[in-house]
Amino acid sequence: MKILLTTHGAPHDEVALAFGAHIARGANEPATVLCVVERASDRPQAGAALKRACELLRGAEVHTKIRMGQACREIINEAEQGKYDLVIVGERPDPNLLVRFLSGSDTIRVVEHAPCPVIVAKRKTGPIVRILVCDSGAQGRLAELGPIVPERPEAVPSLLARFTAQLADLLHGEEEVTVLHVMSQISAAPGVKDKQLRAEAKELIEEHSPEGELLERDVHVLEQPGVHVWPKIRHGLVIDEILAEAQAGRYDLVVIGAHRGAGWQRILLDDIAHKILVQMDRPVLVVR
Amino acid sequence: MEGSREPEVSELSSAEEALLDDGVASLATTSADSWASVEQRAWWQHINLRKIALFLVSLYLFVLAIALMKDGARGLAPLVRVLFSVNSPANALGFGWLSAYLIMSGSPIAAASLTFFDAGVIDKLGAFAMINGSRLGASFIVLFIGFLYVLRGRNRATSLSMGLLSLTVTALTHVPAFLLGLWLLSRGTLDAIQMRSGALLTSATDVTIEPVAQLVTGLLPLWAVFLVGLGLSMASFSLFDRCLPQATLKESQVGWMSRLVYRPWVMFLLGCLITTISMSVSISLSILVPLSARGFVRRENVIPYIMGANIMTFVDTLLAAVLLKNPEAFTVVLVVMVSVAFICLLVLALAYNRFQHGVLAFVERVTAKSRNLAIFMVGIFLAPILLMLV
Repeated sequence: MKILLTTHGAPHDEVALAFGAHIARGANEPATVLCVVERASDRPQAGAALKRACELLRGAEVHTKIRMGQACREIINEAEQGKYDLVIVGERPDPNLLVRFLSGSDTIRVVEHAPCPVIVAKRKTGPIVRILVCDSGAQGRLAELGPIVPERPEAVPSLLARFTAQLADLLHGEEEVTVLHVMSQISAAPGVKDKQLRAEAKELIEEHSPEGELLERDVHVLEQPGVHVWPKIRHGLVIDEILAEAQAGRYDLVVIGAHRGAGWQRILLDDIAHKILVQMDRPVLVVR
Repeated sequence: MEGSREPEVSELSSAEEALLDDGVASLATTSADSWASVEQRAWWQHINLRKIALFLVSLYLFVLAIALMKDGARGLAPLVRVLFSVNSPANALGFGWLSAYLIMSGSPIAAASLTFFDAGVIDKLGAFAMINGSRLGASFIVLFIGFLYVLRGRNRATSLSMGLLSLTVTALTHVPAFLLGLWLLSRGTLDAIQMRSGALLTSATDVTIEPVAQLVTGLLPLWAVFLVGLGLSMASFSLFDRCLPQATLKESQVGWMSRLVYRPWVMFLLGCLITTISMSVSISLSILVPLSARGFVRRENVIPYIMGANIMTFVDTLLAAVLLKNPEAFTVVLVVMVSVAFICLLVLALAYNRFQHGVLAFVERVTAKSRNLAIFMVGIFLAPILLMLV
């Protein structure tokens, strides 16, 4: 797995590097640490930041790189040109309030435009043991899915498929993975069959409800020796429940899907990933 | 023609019965089948002459109903003024609210309030208050049906959630909008915006409606003419519901559509748009159902959708004002719509997250215990009675 880490010597970069070190050490390819400077005169500071990054990434094979330009754009360019499998960034607030209001922080822009999955590292720097995978099922069309084929995850066009296909190296066989689906529905009219609106994951799987089938497929796709996978259902508002589960379960990494498109979709479709990224208090992996 | 008309209630009930009988019967599945068959036909084959005829009949009945209620409203003046003591906006609010409970529908009461105003039975503020009251009463009907299901042993939370949500959102937006509207009306801010029926419409109604109206007025006492008009308006709404196309959406057919529902502004506008066409809150809501299928709707989408629907459900009342040829009546309805829209937009822009959490928490609390539900039910019956006694 080809990993791109970024630094500018700021405290939030150190969090990202310390967190990324756990992944980089297990990767089968050297990780690249990128420092973006705005002017050539900033190169000495970049050198110092990269030196510090190498210290934090001790134990992993590391290449360093300096690019000149606007940070967000250069990170995306590097991710595209270097064909990375994963980008790890810190939560980088944009100092310009107007820019943040109009287009979000640099981190959000990297997440939106990067060609590969992105981990936004925050606060936590320990190894990844407990993973929360939030699957809305919206990426796949359950009715169109064929029988479960664990050997061919690409046959399941879901968040989980992309997670396992792109980031299998993240799992070392010691993880505890919870697959979460939030049922935010309520009955649209009195008299609608309501049992499923209160059911737990086990009941939904037994009843072969769409949510149950989604969770069952996810568990099958993720299951591998040593990795413990649990399906879970929560009932309530989607963002609230994901945030609550992340805290209650003390997860080391929360995995979500990237939804937002371009053009009219940017305006009309809500970006739950954005809201979760902003509100989550721990590392988030955005899979696309 | 808002969401709580009697015919809508019966339509909802039949849908519910289908769901009860068929277990996991899905409205979306039905729509998918019909969609597939529709796609294979040419566009002109989609035209349903029966529905067009139903629409024309419902329109005729609505215009006739307004004419009859207009003629008959004077006959109810003693009843409204003396027996029910509707002399203030508070009385009128309670009167409209209770009347909507009584006939299980809001639109005919809103139209009736305009005819009372046109006949001089109530003043401008009274008409405004009565229209607001009719909407509060109308939003109770889904809750009432849910309550019947609870009595039949169904789960309290799932049976009542939608009704409670609808009622709570309506109350929380209409009460401040009522105060804002009173202020706008007393200042005459929107008095300049008036609409009269055109010469073509006037001559058309003179030819087609007036002879029938005069015949009925000659045969019956005025109070009975009003009641006939009220009955005809309810019948016209029922027919109108039946001539609406079966508009349904399905998640698997329009994948991105399901994601629209998380955007409050989009859902608000969608609620406005669909209710402008359907003129019914509950029909609008039923269109939402197949988005998540199996008779479920998402918590995230329903509140702004109800807000949008609550504004545009007054479109038929606006039409009634035009038919009455009373420019002031038009202004009254416009003030209702503008004030409700202003409050909804304010909530969406500034405090939607808190509003959403507050409403959902309230609904959860009401359905958590039988005692809470009983207090709530007693409260919503007592409130309009107390308003009438003020």
